[in-house]
Amino acid sequence: MANKFCVSLTHSKDNTDKATVAFVVANAAVGSGKETMVFLSVEGVRLAQKGVADGIHEEGFAPLRELLDNFTKAGGTIYVCSPCFKKRKLDEHNLVAGATIVGGAKLVEFLSDGSPCVSY
Amino acid sequence: MTQGHGQPAASPPRVDAVWDAGDLACGDLILQLRGRMEAMRPGHVLRLVALDAGAPEDLPAWCRLTGHTLLAADHPVYLIRRKEH
Repeated sequence: MANKFCVSLTHSKDNTDKATVAFVVANAAVGSGKETMVFLSVEGVRLAQKGVADGIHEEGFAPLRELLDNFTKAGGTIYVCSPCFKKRKLDEHNLVAGATIVGGAKLVEFLSDGSPCVSY
Repeated sequence: MTQGHGQPAASPPRVDAVWDAGDLACGDLILQLRGRMEAMRPGHVLRLVALDAGAPEDLPAWCRLTGHTLLAADHPVYLIRRKEH
């Protein structure tokens, strides 16, 4: 069984339901002892900017800010799609803790050990 | 030339080819880099300039995946030695 787990998220404020559930699942993975990485791409990269998750609170779930903070404090990592980030002219000096801008090779390397990946 | 065994280099490695990739990123950068490395002779060294913010994470990962040797990384400049086969 692979000890890694990937959650791929392509949404932020455009679909707060998916963004929230993605981090709930990521927290379940990291809480289960998995080396867990959330891959933010497409609109999801906006969540890598400080402040964007603030105010997102889906009914029945913890606030996204809290979910994200808990994830990184538990040792989870966040990869941010470089071309998606650049396309949206976001600020690489304003990243949330635990976020790293990467290209495809870094994602491929992470998944190459047989890591499962769930997508939102 | 550094031989990749953790020995300190007496002098910078000889550079056999140079490529300024500019702002190329992710799959575009990797695919073109692959083509350039395949066109080089085994053991030869490419001096790559890659400005993309993802390059510091991506290029070491690509070298680990492909077996090429990352001799030096000082973003945005990377020295990569082509694998032997």
